Amino acid sequence: MIFGYDAEKYRKDFPILSKDLIYFDNACMSLKPVQVIEKMNEYYKEYTACAGRSSHRLAAKVEDEVAVSRNELKNFVNAKHDSEIIFTRNTTESINLVANSIGLGEGDEVIISDKEHNSNLIPWLKLGKKGIKVKVAQSNPDNTFNLENFSKCLTPKTKIVSVVHSSNIDGVTNPVKEIAKIAHKNKAALLVDGAQAAPHKDIDVRELDADFYAFSGHKMLGPTGTGVLYGKIDFLEKMDQFIVGGETVIDSTYTDYKMEKIPMRFEAGLQDYAGIIGLGEACRYLKKVGLKKIEQHEKKLNSVITEGLVDDKNISIIGPKEPEKRGGIFSFNVKGVKPNDVSKILESSKNIMVRGGAHCAHSWFNNHRLDGSARASLYLYNTEEECKIFVGEVGKILTMKV
Amino acid sequence: MVLCFLAFPVFAILGIFSVKYRKLTYEALDCLFRTVTLRKCRSSLDERIKSSMTGKTMKYSPWAAGFIYKNFKVISWVLAVIFIWSTYAASVGVYNYYYYGNCNGPDDTGFCMFDPGGENSGLSEVDTYTQSEIVYPTLEGNDPIIGNKNAKLTIIEFGCYACPYTKKAEPIVKEVLEHYKGKVNLQFKTFYIPHHNMSFQSALAANCAMEQGAYPRYHSLLFEMQDAMKNNSFHSMAEAIGIDTVKFDNCIMTQKYSDEVKSDSLMGLHAGVKGTPTFFINEQKIVGPKPFRTFKTIIDEELKK
Repeated sequence: MIFGYDAEKYRKDFPILSKDLIYFDNACMSLKPVQVIEKMNEYYKEYTACAGRSSHRLAAKVEDEVAVSRNELKNFVNAKHDSEIIFTRNTTESINLVANSIGLGEGDEVIISDKEHNSNLIPWLKLGKKGIKVKVAQSNPDNTFNLENFSKCLTPKTKIVSVVHSSNIDGVTNPVKEIAKIAHKNKAALLVDGAQAAPHKDIDVRELDADFYAFSGHKMLGPTGTGVLYGKIDFLEKMDQFIVGGETVIDSTYTDYKMEKIPMRFEAGLQDYAGIIGLGEACRYLKKVGLKKIEQHEKKLNSVITEGLVDDKNISIIGPKEPEKRGGIFSFNVKGVKPNDVSKILESSKNIMVRGGAHCAHSWFNNHRLDGSARASLYLYNTEEECKIFVGEVGKILTMKV
Repeated sequence: MVLCFLAFPVFAILGIFSVKYRKLTYEALDCLFRTVTLRKCRSSLDERIKSSMTGKTMKYSPWAAGFIYKNFKVISWVLAVIFIWSTYAASVGVYNYYYYGNCNGPDDTGFCMFDPGGENSGLSEVDTYTQSEIVYPTLEGNDPIIGNKNAKLTIIEFGCYACPYTKKAEPIVKEVLEHYKGKVNLQFKTFYIPHHNMSFQSALAANCAMEQGAYPRYHSLLFEMQDAMKNNSFHSMAEAIGIDTVKFDNCIMTQKYSDEVKSDSLMGLHAGVKGTPTFFINEQKIVGPKPFRTFKTIIDEELKK
């Protein structure tokens, strides 16, 4: 038990943890508590219907539950209005929505950091065909955000800054508040990729002053195929639609159509109601546990791992040495052993699930001439004991002396 | 790459039964194809196997795990050579089993995994007899011939009337003689097994019946009554087939054919017979109650000569 936080108390809510395994791949996918699973089943068992179309009792119930979920998400990120919450399939779709709808044109510039996930790189690179320039702000040598380098990238042509909140490469959290100030001073909008931050820390989009905040449900105990785009209402009102069709219009003729209100105009087609309702339940669960406690717990666990391995000369940690700067992520390489091999060896030896590879951030690894890394990513249900076992097993790999 | 070569046939076979192995089969095939076309293998199948083996070994010894990780290519090649050799050996075994009824050939009664119960290789053995030079058995006028006396080919069988395996071979022998009617006949030589009850006596009785021209009938009856054979059984059987029992009893009592029985057995020992039944088709030997196809393979070869 750390800081009065008892992970064991929550583990019983996660059926998969009854199996003999250590799950350290939370940056990719979190496990799901029974509460979320049951809430989703509730939709399928009790009120399977369409929202926003039919007017019968079941449809009204779905409409209500989706609205409750939207409100839950609004509170989760402290947005001002429910309509600022757009449901998507994932962070990738949220970012694509902004990239394709914010109205960038030839000559406009976009700034990203050098540590972006492909989901916050490729959508912008794709716009390069339309004459939009992508600038990359380089990080400090210890992989923390360099505000000076970022400021230098800004020009009057910069229309949007799109940066990751917490990196999936090393867990480092960027100073979004400062980035927002600088970007806004330059009249550029700020989109934050919060996929790795929203599940692990208290998010206040108003305090951060982010114009857009994108995150996924599946990394925060929610169902797969659920995501959110928070957008300031002023931006959303001006934005063009991205995917259009059913539920995105109020009326149509053979030659024209009238857009729906926000957020519905951005939620095309039949939605994943069970997923959205389940995601609302995941927010309730996280709030009950407490995001601040989760953040502290993960940092403490990360320090157990870091202290156990940092002194070995054959291990290299990606990012800063200090565990508190890396949240719940311990990304590392063992000399002479490929990252994918490390993850497979850990699985074969002690059923420890970590991810090996470039973590969808090939650009950063290519730039650093690395194949990738092995990455242990922690969450609220992981324990100190699991971390010690992990340290022991990595220690054995280190003693293989390859 | 080496492991892809090994994995492909293994996964291809497993893929017949399970979809998950089909994907692995394609991976292995793709890797093989890219390797032979001098391109880098896209599949990480070998890497996964390597890591899996390393991890499992690490539970017991990090040093051994490190050894596997470092020397995986060499280990893969050793495994590949063993695989190729064992595939060859298994193929020979399958061939031998199909044609000769035993994985090791027609004259072997050792363990065969396709015949784990030894159904085709049962043998009533005698003490090991080391014969420096094999003297193949010859036809003798004083031993009975079953089938066409002028047949082109003769099977010489060394058998024992008290031997369950000789009894088991009986219907197979009959099938062979029927199949090659007119072309193949059989000479049965008694090879008595000292530790078998009534082995010597039954051999004497058969010869005594032959004296009265009742050999084929008595020969069959001896096998039919094998499980219930006692001292007085021979008389009863002679009576049952209607031969002169006084003459028959006298023949048995005086052990008239003792030398003949011993001489047949000695001929078997000189020919390298280690137990019954053992068959000679010219210089090819079949040991144990091998299936019909074994006889057919050898007889067809010999008839062509």
